[in-house]
Amino acid sequence: MWELREYRYAASPAEAVALLRQGPGRGAYIAGGTDMLLFPPDCDFVVDVNRAGIGGIGETPAGDLLLGAAATLQELARHELVTGFAGGAIARAASHCGNRPVRTTATVGGNLCNALPSADMAPVLLALDAHCYIADEDSQESVPLQDFFVGPRQTVLGDRLLVGLVLPAAAHDRRCCGRKLTRAAEDISLVQVEVALGIADGRIDAARIALGAVAPVPLRANLAEGLLTGVACDDITDDVLADTAAVAAGECDPISDHRAGGEYRRDMVRVLTRRLLATALGREDLS
Amino acid sequence: MKIDLVLNGREVTWDIAPGQTLLAALRDHQVYSAKRGCETGDCGSCTVLCDDQPVNTCMVPAAAVHGRRLTTLEGLLGDELMVTLQREMVERGGIQCGYCTPGMLISFYALLKENGRPSNEEIRESLTGNLCRCTGYVKPVEAVLAVVKERDQTGGQAE
Repeated sequence: MWELREYRYAASPAEAVALLRQGPGRGAYIAGGTDMLLFPPDCDFVVDVNRAGIGGIGETPAGDLLLGAAATLQELARHELVTGFAGGAIARAASHCGNRPVRTTATVGGNLCNALPSADMAPVLLALDAHCYIADEDSQESVPLQDFFVGPRQTVLGDRLLVGLVLPAAAHDRRCCGRKLTRAAEDISLVQVEVALGIADGRIDAARIALGAVAPVPLRANLAEGLLTGVACDDITDDVLADTAAVAAGECDPISDHRAGGEYRRDMVRVLTRRLLATALGREDLS
Repeated sequence: MKIDLVLNGREVTWDIAPGQTLLAALRDHQVYSAKRGCETGDCGSCTVLCDDQPVNTCMVPAAAVHGRRLTTLEGLLGDELMVTLQREMVERGGIQCGYCTPGMLISFYALLKENGRPSNEEIRESLTGNLCRCTGYVKPVEAVLAVVKERDQTGGQAE
Protein backbone atom coordinates (compact mmCIF):
# COMPACT_ATOMS: atom_id res chain seq x y z
CA MET A 1 0.00 0.00 0.00
CA TRP A 2 1.01 3.60 -0.63
CA GLU A 3 2.37 4.83 2.72
CA LEU A 4 0.87 8.31 2.71
CA ARG A 5 0.63 10.16 6.00
CA GLU A 6 -1.98 12.66 4.90
CA TYR A 7 -4.48 13.37 2.10
CA ARG A 8 -5.37 17.06 1.81
CA TYR A 9 -8.14 18.75 -0.20
CA ALA A 10 -7.59 22.17 -1.77
CA ALA A 11 -10.51 24.52 -2.46
CA SER A 12 -8.60 26.90 -4.76
CA PRO A 13 -5.37 26.94 -6.76
CA ALA A 14 -3.73 29.31 -4.25
CA GLU A 15 -4.72 27.05 -1.38
CA ALA A 16 -3.34 24.04 -3.24
CA VAL A 17 0.06 25.68 -3.62
CA ALA A 18 0.02 26.80 0.02
CA LEU A 19 -0.94 23.31 1.22
CA LEU A 20 1.86 21.78 -0.82
CA ARG A 21 4.45 24.20 0.56
CA GLN A 22 3.21 23.89 4.12
CA GLY A 23 4.90 20.52 4.67
CA PRO A 24 6.03 18.79 6.75
CA GLY A 25 7.88 16.45 4.44
CA ARG A 26 7.41 15.96 0.71
CA GLY A 27 4.11 16.59 -0.97
CA ALA A 28 2.62 16.09 -4.43
CA TYR A 29 -0.51 17.23 -6.23
CA ILE A 30 -3.04 14.57 -7.17
CA ALA A 31 -5.90 14.89 -9.68
CA GLY A 32 -7.28 11.70 -11.28
CA GLY A 33 -4.53 9.64 -9.71
CA THR A 34 -4.39 7.01 -12.45
CA ASP A 35 -0.68 7.52 -13.07
CA MET A 36 0.20 8.10 -9.41
CA LEU A 37 -1.39 4.89 -8.17
CA LEU A 38 0.48 2.98 -10.85
CA PHE A 39 3.83 4.38 -9.71
CA PRO A 40 3.23 5.98 -6.29
CA PRO A 41 5.71 8.82 -5.80
CA ASP A 42 7.79 8.87 -2.66
CA CYS A 43 5.96 11.51 -0.65
CA ASP A 44 4.47 12.11 2.78
CA PHE A 45 1.23 13.76 1.70
CA VAL A 46 -0.80 14.65 -1.38
CA VAL A 47 -2.94 17.68 -2.21
CA ASP A 48 -6.15 16.76 -4.08
CA VAL A 49 -6.87 19.47 -6.69
CA ASN A 50 -10.16 18.03 -7.98
CA ARG A 51 -12.12 20.49 -5.83
CA ALA A 52 -9.83 23.48 -6.49
CA GLY A 53 -12.06 24.98 -9.19
CA ILE A 54 -9.71 24.08 -12.02
CA GLY A 55 -12.02 21.67 -13.87
CA GLY A 56 -14.47 22.45 -16.60
CA ILE A 57 -14.32 23.41 -20.26
CA GLY A 58 -15.21 26.81 -21.69
CA GLU A 59 -14.63 29.41 -24.32
CA THR A 60 -13.66 33.07 -24.27
CA PRO A 61 -15.67 35.70 -26.18
CA ALA A 62 -12.77 35.75 -28.66
CA GLY A 63 -13.25 32.03 -29.33
CA ASP A 64 -10.26 30.66 -27.42
CA LEU A 65 -10.93 27.18 -26.01
CA LEU A 66 -10.32 26.81 -22.26
CA LEU A 67 -9.57 23.42 -20.77
CA GLY A 68 -9.39 23.18 -16.98
CA ALA A 69 -6.38 21.16 -15.87
CA ALA A 70 -8.70 18.90 -13.86
CA ALA A 71 -11.11 18.34 -16.77
CA THR A 72 -11.26 14.59 -17.32
CA LEU A 73 -10.36 12.87 -20.57
CA GLN A 74 -13.95 11.63 -20.83
CA GLU A 75 -15.18 15.25 -20.59
CA LEU A 76 -12.72 16.25 -23.32
CA ALA A 77 -13.86 13.34 -25.49
CA ARG A 78 -17.51 14.40 -25.27
CA HIS A 79 -17.78 18.16 -24.74
CA GLU A 80 -19.22 19.99 -27.74
CA LEU A 81 -16.73 22.87 -27.52
CA VAL A 82 -13.94 20.29 -27.81
CA THR A 83 -15.58 18.17 -30.51
CA GLY A 84 -16.14 21.41 -32.45
CA PHE A 85 -12.54 22.67 -32.22
CA ALA A 86 -10.07 21.83 -35.04
CA GLY A 87 -12.29 19.06 -36.33
CA GLY A 88 -12.56 17.47 -32.91
CA ALA A 89 -8.86 16.56 -32.81
CA ILE A 90 -8.50 16.99 -29.05
CA ALA A 91 -11.64 14.96 -28.39
CA ARG A 92 -10.34 12.22 -30.68
CA ALA A 93 -6.99 12.10 -28.88
CA ALA A 94 -8.71 12.01 -25.48
CA SER A 95 -11.02 9.19 -26.56
CA HIS A 96 -7.99 7.08 -27.56
CA CYS A 97 -6.36 7.51 -24.14
CA GLY A 98 -6.36 4.51 -21.81
CA ASN A 99 -9.73 2.80 -21.50
CA ARG A 100 -13.23 3.97 -20.61
CA PRO A 101 -12.98 3.75 -16.78
CA VAL A 102 -9.50 5.33 -16.80
CA ARG A 103 -10.89 8.29 -18.79
CA THR A 104 -13.53 8.90 -16.12
CA THR A 105 -10.89 10.02 -13.64
CA ALA A 106 -7.71 10.75 -15.62
CA THR A 107 -7.30 14.48 -16.30
CA VAL A 108 -5.71 16.43 -19.12
CA GLY A 109 -3.57 18.36 -16.63
CA GLY A 110 -2.39 15.17 -14.97
CA ASN A 111 -1.42 13.70 -18.33
CA LEU A 112 0.78 16.73 -19.04
CA CYS A 113 2.21 17.20 -15.52
CA ASN A 114 3.21 13.56 -15.37
CA ALA A 115 5.40 14.58 -18.32
CA LEU A 116 6.05 11.21 -19.89
CA PRO A 117 7.61 11.49 -23.38
CA SER A 118 4.59 9.47 -24.51
CA ALA A 119 1.92 11.66 -22.83
CA ASP A 120 -1.09 10.98 -25.01
CA MET A 121 -2.52 14.49 -24.94
CA ALA A 122 0.71 16.37 -25.60
CA PRO A 123 1.09 16.14 -29.40
CA VAL A 124 -2.41 17.35 -30.29
CA LEU A 125 -2.17 20.21 -27.80
CA LEU A 126 1.27 21.16 -29.16
CA ALA A 127 -0.08 21.08 -32.72
CA LEU A 128 -2.87 23.49 -31.72
CA ASP A 129 -0.56 25.98 -29.93
CA ALA A 130 -1.77 25.35 -26.37
CA HIS A 131 -0.63 27.69 -23.61
CA CYS A 132 -0.39 26.53 -20.00
CA TYR A 133 -1.69 28.65 -17.13
CA ILE A 134 0.35 28.10 -13.99
CA ALA A 135 -0.69 29.32 -10.56
CA ASP A 136 1.51 30.42 -7.69
CA GLU A 137 0.11 31.50 -4.32
CA ASP A 138 -0.53 35.06 -5.47
CA SER A 139 0.26 35.17 -9.18
CA GLN A 140 -0.27 33.37 -12.48
CA GLU A 141 1.97 32.77 -15.44
CA SER A 142 1.31 31.66 -18.98
CA VAL A 143 3.82 29.38 -20.70
CA PRO A 144 3.63 27.92 -24.22
CA LEU A 145 3.20 24.15 -23.98
CA GLN A 146 6.38 23.55 -25.97
CA ASP A 147 8.32 25.22 -23.13
CA PHE A 148 6.47 23.28 -20.41
CA PHE A 149 8.36 19.99 -20.68
CA VAL A 150 11.94 19.96 -19.41
CA GLY A 151 12.77 16.24 -19.52
CA PRO A 152 11.22 12.86 -18.84
CA ARG A 153 8.87 13.39 -15.87
CA GLN A 154 10.12 16.98 -15.52
CA THR A 155 8.27 20.22 -16.15
CA VAL A 156 8.80 23.91 -15.46
CA LEU A 157 6.24 23.77 -12.62
CA GLY A 158 8.38 23.26 -9.53
CA ASP A 159 5.85 23.38 -6.70
CA ARG A 160 3.40 25.53 -8.66
CA LEU A 161 0.09 24.21 -10.03
CA LEU A 162 -1.03 23.85 -13.65
CA VAL A 163 -4.55 25.30 -13.63
CA GLY A 164 -5.56 25.13 -17.27
CA LEU A 165 -4.83 25.32 -20.96
CA VAL A 166 -5.82 27.85 -23.57
CA LEU A 167 -6.14 26.92 -27.24
CA PRO A 168 -6.15 30.10 -29.36
CA ALA A 169 -9.10 30.83 -31.61
CA ALA A 170 -6.60 31.00 -34.48
CA ALA A 171 -6.25 27.21 -34.23
CA HIS A 172 -10.02 26.59 -34.38
CA ASP A 173 -10.15 25.87 -38.10
CA ARG A 174 -6.86 24.05 -38.48
CA ARG A 175 -6.96 20.73 -40.27
CA CYS A 176 -5.59 18.47 -37.59
CA CYS A 177 -4.88 14.76 -38.00
CA GLY A 178 -3.01 12.42 -35.74
CA ARG A 179 -2.11 8.84 -35.16
CA LYS A 180 -0.55 6.92 -32.33
CA LEU A 181 0.97 3.50 -32.73
CA THR A 182 0.50 1.03 -29.90
CA ARG A 183 0.59 -2.72 -29.53
CA ALA A 184 -2.87 -3.18 -27.99
CA ALA A 185 -5.30 -0.27 -28.32
CA GLU A 186 -5.06 0.95 -24.73
CA ASP A 187 -1.28 0.60 -24.39
CA ILE A 188 1.21 3.38 -23.87
CA SER A 189 2.15 4.71 -27.30
CA LEU A 190 5.24 3.70 -29.27
CA VAL A 191 5.09 6.68 -31.63
CA GLN A 192 2.70 9.59 -31.90
CA VAL A 193 2.44 12.10 -34.72
CA GLU A 194 -0.03 14.96 -34.91
CA VAL A 195 -0.11 17.47 -37.77
CA ALA A 196 -2.18 20.65 -38.04
CA LEU A 197 -2.36 22.92 -41.06
CA GLY A 198 -3.86 26.40 -41.20
CA ILE A 199 -4.77 27.19 -44.78
CA ALA A 200 -5.74 30.66 -46.02
CA ASP A 201 -6.16 31.65 -49.68
CA GLY A 202 -4.71 28.35 -50.83
CA ARG A 203 -1.54 28.86 -48.82
CA ILE A 204 -0.22 27.24 -45.63
CA ASP A 205 -0.22 30.01 -43.02
CA ALA A 206 0.48 27.68 -40.10
CA ALA A 207 2.14 24.29 -40.19
CA ARG A 208 2.51 22.21 -37.03
CA ILE A 209 4.06 18.77 -36.69
CA ALA A 210 4.12 17.44 -33.13
CA LEU A 211 5.78 14.21 -32.07
CA GLY A 212 5.39 12.02 -28.98
CA ALA A 213 7.33 9.08 -27.54
CA VAL A 214 10.31 9.72 -29.83
CA ALA A 215 12.43 12.10 -27.70
CA PRO A 216 12.95 12.90 -24.01
CA VAL A 217 9.97 15.27 -24.23
CA PRO A 218 6.99 15.67 -26.60
CA LEU A 219 8.22 18.10 -29.24
CA ARG A 220 7.49 20.08 -32.37
CA ALA A 221 9.40 19.37 -35.58
CA ASN A 222 10.21 23.02 -36.21
CA LEU A 223 12.51 22.52 -39.22
CA ALA A 224 9.97 20.36 -41.03
CA GLU A 225 7.22 22.86 -40.25
CA GLY A 226 9.36 25.60 -41.79
CA LEU A 227 9.43 23.77 -45.13
CA LEU A 228 5.66 24.16 -45.45
CA THR A 229 4.99 27.56 -43.91
CA GLY A 230 3.91 30.13 -46.48
CA VAL A 231 3.89 27.62 -49.34
CA ALA A 232 0.93 27.50 -51.73
CA CYS A 233 -0.91 24.18 -51.38
CA ASP A 234 -0.56 23.58 -55.13
CA ASP A 235 3.23 23.77 -54.79
CA ILE A 236 3.29 21.05 -52.12
CA THR A 237 4.16 18.12 -54.35
CA ASP A 238 4.59 14.53 -53.25
CA ASP A 239 8.33 15.21 -53.17
CA VAL A 240 7.85 18.16 -50.81
CA LEU A 241 5.77 15.97 -48.50
CA ALA A 242 8.41 13.21 -48.58
CA ASP A 243 11.19 15.72 -47.83
CA THR A 244 9.21 17.30 -45.00
CA ALA A 245 8.56 13.89 -43.47
CA ALA A 246 12.25 12.97 -43.73
CA VAL A 247 13.25 16.21 -41.99
CA ALA A 248 10.74 15.55 -39.19
CA ALA A 249 12.20 12.07 -38.74
CA GLY A 250 15.63 13.69 -38.40
CA GLU A 251 14.37 16.00 -35.65
CA CYS A 252 13.34 13.24 -33.25
CA ASP A 253 15.65 11.38 -30.92
CA PRO A 254 14.02 8.06 -30.08
CA ILE A 255 15.28 5.41 -27.69
CA SER A 256 15.16 1.66 -28.18
CA ASP A 257 13.37 -0.20 -25.43
CA HIS A 258 11.24 -3.28 -24.87
CA ARG A 259 8.33 -1.62 -26.69
CA ALA A 260 10.05 -0.69 -29.95
CA GLY A 261 13.43 -0.04 -31.53
CA GLY A 262 14.64 3.50 -32.08
CA GLU A 263 15.07 3.02 -35.83
CA TYR A 264 11.53 1.72 -36.13
CA ARG A 265 10.21 4.70 -34.19
CA ARG A 266 12.14 7.15 -36.37
CA ASP A 267 10.94 5.52 -39.56
CA MET A 268 7.35 5.57 -38.34
CA VAL A 269 7.68 9.32 -37.73
CA ARG A 270 8.62 9.66 -41.39
CA VAL A 271 5.80 7.42 -42.65
CA LEU A 272 3.10 8.89 -40.43
CA THR A 273 4.14 12.51 -40.99
CA ARG A 274 3.90 12.11 -44.77
CA ARG A 275 0.58 10.32 -44.65
CA LEU A 276 -0.96 12.67 -42.09
CA LEU A 277 0.10 15.76 -44.04
CA ALA A 278 -1.40 14.24 -47.19
CA THR A 279 -4.57 13.54 -45.21
CA ALA A 280 -4.71 17.11 -43.88
CA LEU A 281 -4.38 18.33 -47.48
CA GLY A 282 -7.27 16.07 -48.53
CA ARG A 283 -5.14 13.81 -50.75
CA GLU A 284 -5.15 10.65 -48.69
CA ASP A 285 -7.28 9.32 -45.90
CA LEU A 286 -5.39 8.16 -42.86
CA SER A 287 -8.18 8.75 -40.41
CA MET B 1 -8.91 9.62 8.20
CA LYS B 2 -12.70 9.72 7.82
CA ILE B 3 -14.66 10.22 4.59
CA ASP B 4 -18.40 10.52 3.95
CA LEU B 5 -19.96 9.07 0.83
CA VAL B 6 -23.17 7.62 -0.51
CA LEU B 7 -22.74 3.91 -1.12
CA ASN B 8 -25.59 2.23 -2.99
CA GLY B 9 -28.02 4.93 -1.85
CA ARG B 10 -26.95 4.87 1.81
CA GLU B 11 -24.89 7.56 3.51
CA VAL B 12 -21.85 6.02 5.12
CA THR B 13 -18.72 7.19 6.91
CA TRP B 14 -15.57 5.20 6.38
CA ASP B 15 -12.35 5.18 8.31
CA ILE B 16 -9.62 4.78 5.68
CA ALA B 17 -5.86 5.07 5.35
CA PRO B 18 -4.77 8.16 3.32
CA GLY B 19 -2.92 6.04 0.74
CA GLN B 20 -5.53 3.30 0.43
CA THR B 21 -7.16 2.54 -2.93
CA LEU B 22 -10.92 2.65 -3.27
CA LEU B 23 -10.80 -1.05 -4.14
CA ALA B 24 -9.15 -1.92 -0.82
CA ALA B 25 -11.59 0.30 1.08
CA LEU B 26 -14.60 -1.30 -0.62
CA ARG B 27 -13.44 -4.80 0.24
CA ASP B 28 -12.65 -3.71 3.82
CA HIS B 29 -16.30 -2.70 3.99
CA GLN B 30 -17.61 -6.03 2.70
CA VAL B 31 -18.31 -4.89 -0.85
CA TYR B 32 -16.96 -7.91 -2.69
CA SER B 33 -18.34 -7.43 -6.22
CA ALA B 34 -15.31 -5.22 -6.95
CA LYS B 35 -12.60 -7.80 -7.53
CA ARG B 36 -8.88 -7.46 -7.13
CA GLY B 37 -7.35 -8.33 -10.51
CA CYS B 38 -4.43 -6.54 -12.12
CA GLU B 39 -4.42 -3.49 -9.83
CA THR B 40 -2.98 -1.47 -12.74
CA GLY B 41 -6.17 -0.22 -14.39
CA ASP B 42 -6.11 -2.78 -17.20
CA CYS B 43 -8.48 -5.62 -16.34
CA GLY B 44 -11.60 -3.84 -15.10
CA SER B 45 -12.61 -6.52 -12.59
CA CYS B 46 -12.79 -3.78 -9.92
CA THR B 47 -15.11 -1.46 -11.90
CA VAL B 48 -17.87 0.41 -10.02
CA LEU B 49 -19.85 3.56 -10.78
CA CYS B 50 -18.78 6.88 -9.24
CA ASP B 51 -21.43 9.55 -9.84
CA ASP B 52 -22.80 7.19 -12.56
CA GLN B 53 -19.47 6.91 -14.43
CA PRO B 54 -17.44 3.69 -14.51
CA VAL B 55 -14.12 3.88 -12.64
CA ASN B 56 -11.32 1.44 -11.92
CA THR B 57 -11.35 1.38 -8.13
CA CYS B 58 -7.74 0.14 -8.09
CA MET B 59 -6.73 3.47 -9.69
CA VAL B 60 -8.73 5.79 -7.44
CA PRO B 61 -7.59 6.77 -3.94
CA ALA B 62 -10.35 6.04 -1.43
CA ALA B 63 -9.97 9.59 -0.09
CA ALA B 64 -10.87 10.98 -3.54
CA VAL B 65 -14.49 9.75 -3.27
CA HIS B 66 -15.25 11.83 -0.18
CA GLY B 67 -18.67 13.37 -0.90
CA ARG B 68 -19.28 11.23 -3.98
CA ARG B 69 -21.95 8.67 -4.86
CA LEU B 70 -20.81 5.10 -5.48
CA THR B 71 -22.90 2.35 -7.05
CA THR B 72 -21.65 -1.21 -7.02
CA LEU B 73 -23.27 -4.39 -8.33
CA GLU B 74 -24.70 -4.99 -4.83
CA GLY B 75 -26.72 -1.78 -5.21
CA LEU B 76 -28.22 -2.84 -8.54
CA LEU B 77 -29.41 -6.34 -7.65
CA GLY B 78 -33.12 -5.59 -8.03
CA ASP B 79 -32.67 -3.04 -10.80
CA GLU B 80 -34.75 -3.92 -13.86
CA LEU B 81 -32.05 -3.13 -16.40
CA MET B 82 -29.39 -4.98 -14.42
CA VAL B 83 -31.63 -8.02 -13.96
CA THR B 84 -32.26 -8.13 -17.73
CA LEU B 85 -28.52 -7.79 -18.42
CA GLN B 86 -27.67 -10.55 -15.98
CA ARG B 87 -30.28 -12.88 -17.47
CA GLU B 88 -29.05 -12.34 -21.03
CA MET B 89 -25.42 -12.80 -19.98
CA VAL B 90 -26.33 -16.16 -18.38
CA GLU B 91 -28.59 -17.37 -21.19
CA ARG B 92 -26.21 -16.43 -24.02
CA GLY B 93 -23.03 -17.80 -22.51
CA GLY B 94 -21.57 -14.39 -21.68
CA ILE B 95 -20.31 -15.81 -18.38
CA GLN B 96 -17.78 -18.56 -17.97
CA CYS B 97 -15.41 -18.37 -15.01
CA GLY B 98 -17.19 -15.24 -13.82
CA TYR B 99 -14.26 -13.27 -12.43
CA CYS B 100 -14.67 -10.38 -14.86
CA THR B 101 -18.46 -10.49 -14.83
CA PRO B 102 -19.30 -7.88 -12.14
CA GLY B 103 -17.01 -5.33 -13.80
CA MET B 104 -18.35 -6.14 -17.24
CA LEU B 105 -21.95 -5.81 -16.03
CA ILE B 106 -21.15 -2.40 -14.54
CA SER B 107 -19.58 -1.23 -17.82
CA PHE B 108 -22.59 -2.43 -19.84
CA TYR B 109 -24.98 -0.88 -17.34
CA ALA B 110 -23.22 2.50 -17.58
CA LEU B 111 -23.34 2.29 -21.37
CA LEU B 112 -27.04 1.45 -21.54
CA LYS B 113 -27.96 4.17 -19.04
CA GLU B 114 -26.24 6.71 -21.26
CA ASN B 115 -27.22 5.28 -24.62
CA GLY B 116 -30.35 3.14 -24.95
CA ARG B 117 -29.51 1.94 -28.47
CA PRO B 118 -25.76 1.39 -28.69
CA SER B 119 -24.32 -0.02 -31.90
CA ASN B 120 -22.19 -3.14 -31.96
CA GLU B 121 -19.13 -0.89 -32.14
CA GLU B 122 -20.25 1.24 -29.19
CA ILE B 123 -20.80 -1.89 -27.13
CA ARG B 124 -17.32 -3.14 -27.95
CA GLU B 125 -15.90 0.31 -27.17
CA SER B 126 -17.60 0.24 -23.75
CA LEU B 127 -15.66 -2.96 -23.03
CA THR B 128 -12.21 -1.43 -23.54
CA GLY B 129 -11.73 -1.43 -19.79
CA ASN B 130 -12.67 -5.07 -19.19
CA LEU B 131 -10.47 -8.05 -19.89
CA CYS B 132 -12.12 -11.45 -20.25
CA ARG B 133 -9.97 -14.55 -20.85
CA CYS B 134 -12.87 -16.98 -21.34
CA THR B 135 -15.58 -15.67 -23.61
CA GLY B 136 -13.65 -13.84 -26.32
CA TYR B 137 -16.17 -10.97 -25.83
CA VAL B 138 -18.50 -12.16 -28.60
CA LYS B 139 -21.14 -13.61 -26.34
CA PRO B 140 -21.18 -10.71 -23.86
CA VAL B 141 -21.67 -8.32 -26.81
CA GLU B 142 -24.49 -10.52 -28.10
CA ALA B 143 -26.06 -10.39 -24.65
CA VAL B 144 -26.12 -6.59 -24.71
CA LEU B 145 -27.55 -6.58 -28.24
CA ALA B 146 -30.26 -8.90 -26.97
CA VAL B 147 -31.06 -6.49 -24.12
CA VAL B 148 -31.30 -3.61 -26.61
CA LYS B 149 -33.61 -5.62 -28.86
CA GLU B 150 -35.74 -6.74 -25.94
CA ARG B 151 -36.15 -3.20 -24.70
CA ASP B 152 -37.05 -2.03 -28.20
CA GLN B 153 -39.81 -4.62 -28.34
CA THR B 154 -41.18 -3.71 -24.92
CA GLY B 155 -41.62 -0.06 -25.85
CA GLY B 156 -38.02 1.11 -26.02
CA GLN B 157 -37.81 2.30 -22.44
CA ALA B 158 -34.53 4.07 -21.95
CA GLU B 159 -34.46 3.28 -18.25
